Amino acid sequence: MKEINLKWFSVTKTELYIILGAIIAPFIFYFSPYIQGLLIFIMMWVILGSSWNLLAGYTGQVSFGHAAYFGIGAYAAALPFYHWHISPWWGLLTGGIAAVILGYLLGIIVFRLRGPYFALGTLATAEILRIAFGEEEWLTNGHNGILYITTWVTKLPYYFIVLAIALGAVFSIKAVMHSKAGFYFLSIREDEDAAKAIGIDTAKYKNISMAISTFWAGTAGAFYMIYMGFIDPEIVFALHNISIITILVGILGGVGTIWGPAVGAVIMVFVQELFRSAFFGLAPRWVGNIHALVFGLLVIFVILYMAGGVVGDWDLIAKKFRRTKPKEAKA
Amino acid sequence: MKNITKVFLAALLAVSFLFGLNSCSKKETGPIKIGVLLPLTGSKANFGEMEKNSFELAKAEINKAGGIDGRALEFVYEDDTGKPEVGRAGAEKLITVNKVPLITGGYSSSVTFAAAAVAQQYRVPFLVNTGSVDKITEPEAFNLTPKDGDKFYIYRLNPPVSEYASGLESLLQEVVKPKSVYIIHENTAFGTKGASSFKKSAEKLGIEVKGVQSYTEGTVDFKPLLLNAWKTKPDMFYMISYVMDAALIMKQARELNIKPKLFVGAGAGYTMPAFKENAGPAAEGVLSATLWHQSLPIKGAKEYFDNYVKKYGGDGPDYHGAEAYSAAYVVANVLKRCKGDYTPETIKKALDKTDMMTVFGPVKFVSYGKKIHQNKMKTYVVQWINGELKLVWPKNLANAKFEYPINWDKLWK
Repeated sequence: MKEINLKWFSVTKTELYIILGAIIAPFIFYFSPYIQGLLIFIMMWVILGSSWNLLAGYTGQVSFGHAAYFGIGAYAAALPFYHWHISPWWGLLTGGIAAVILGYLLGIIVFRLRGPYFALGTLATAEILRIAFGEEEWLTNGHNGILYITTWVTKLPYYFIVLAIALGAVFSIKAVMHSKAGFYFLSIREDEDAAKAIGIDTAKYKNISMAISTFWAGTAGAFYMIYMGFIDPEIVFALHNISIITILVGILGGVGTIWGPAVGAVIMVFVQELFRSAFFGLAPRWVGNIHALVFGLLVIFVILYMAGGVVGDWDLIAKKFRRTKPKEAKA
Repeated sequence: MKNITKVFLAALLAVSFLFGLNSCSKKETGPIKIGVLLPLTGSKANFGEMEKNSFELAKAEINKAGGIDGRALEFVYEDDTGKPEVGRAGAEKLITVNKVPLITGGYSSSVTFAAAAVAQQYRVPFLVNTGSVDKITEPEAFNLTPKDGDKFYIYRLNPPVSEYASGLESLLQEVVKPKSVYIIHENTAFGTKGASSFKKSAEKLGIEVKGVQSYTEGTVDFKPLLLNAWKTKPDMFYMISYVMDAALIMKQARELNIKPKLFVGAGAGYTMPAFKENAGPAAEGVLSATLWHQSLPIKGAKEYFDNYVKKYGGDGPDYHGAEAYSAAYVVANVLKRCKGDYTPETIKKALDKTDMMTVFGPVKFVSYGKKIHQNKMKTYVVQWINGELKLVWPKNLANAKFEYPINWDKLWK
């Protein structure tokens, strides 16, 4: 977190393997739409986690309200459908843009705040949206939600769409972090006043970071609407189910690393499903109840013992791994 | 790094084989598996548990009596945790992994509605037994018309929420004659729809609606809401809540000494044993609309209630349990009429022709208004008297006298 993880950029071969694996994965589970569904969720969390990571991990603006952008993207896809029967698929274009506009407007308010106050400000704005979208029934159909009969029953096309978005998110963020803007983001994170003092237009670069971040969050929201076919304000503006999980995905995987959120997403979906299904039905039912607890413990463990997350502290983990099992350390 | 990719790929392969093996065993003599979607964990687990118990009770009886043409009936439960997106995934899993030809259950409105879309899309019939928001049986909500009965796979055993208060209306008209009402509701699909339809009924009956106020599930302090409502001095409160909120509302109303002529709940939380356990003396005297009571003159109702208490203990089931128990019997009846062909299409055709008696009342899926595949039912009014839920309306079926006016000072002592 404290340094630029340049070595992650150089290992392009690994990245190629990951992409290849991601393309092959749904075919390995060709006959299990259930697993394919989980893979789609992993990709969705990769997008959300990476989006959050750019703003929080790289630019230092820790948002507790990413559900706002996710939700607005989902509603950007859903509302034209609800009112005028325009296909929600347009949301893949409009969702991100709607989120960027919202992000800019909210930025005017929340970027005046710093640190914990910024976090609370973003949290509050997301909650305001959740309540407003629930109450304004004429516009949003309130808590009845919006239902859309999805285009395909099969999951494969959805998987490749969400994979494309996820790769777009990860690699656009990687590209930005390679550019001059990326270094400005880091300088804002390390010391905003110092950044300003050396002539960086911090307001402008915070807004750029916000725009890229919210664009992907909004696109993820629109995809959620298209894929799930049902949204209501409690789902898409959820504090704990969206905003908090987004942060956990980032922390678990590694704040301020390109692939951290992706690793975090895999761990999060895996742990959540393992407990929700009570170890695929092998454990007693009450196990399902403790999934939040286990997840919480996992996060505490990560924060205490590997603050950089799985990716950020990979060297540390690998070193321990080698020490205990020296024979496998070859290759 | 290479090592890790290899290990990861190997793990993926291993898991995929496990899942592949799972799905290829198919026996013709084994049990017939039917999917049940219920909230078994989370804030609505109270309801899910009662319904699951009732499904299991019915299953044991059905299998004891010979099962379905010699094959046993089996329910595969999927936990929707009370969240629509989890419910959708659950329904999908039942259809694609467990390959069930019929789904039943469906507790909260929003979850049921979201899951219904999945069933509709996969063309697998879904017999809803509790989810009550009106649009679940309105084909319009699924881009169909009421004429598309043969393309519509959703069936509903319980009446829609807009009809929950129909039994209450005559009680208000004939006995209480309140002049005004204040409506408090949970801000969910079930609560919002219930509130708007009761508002309409009240206006029709000439009762002035002093206000409609929503709250978010899990609110801990209802006092500002209650005090604001009480400022308007309504003759009655009409409340739509799930069980924990219901108990808290009544407890805090008692603490604030709010004493209208009536407190009326709209079913859901207000008829559950857990409501009484949590609200204590504050539950006394509270009325609720209900869809069922064990003292109704329906064959088997009392036996079901007693058997439930014998097997699971506690205070026994309310209408939610009866819905689940009856749904199990409808499932058995439908499957028997499929004559060994347990495919979604055959089951759907058999569902269309359903005309049977259950402990919940007669079941027949009819069309009216915007709805199709909807079972029509009467509704009743119950009251908590000395810690027990008693049927007080309609008068000819009641097993306790409705004392009016209610002396709150005495009840809340």
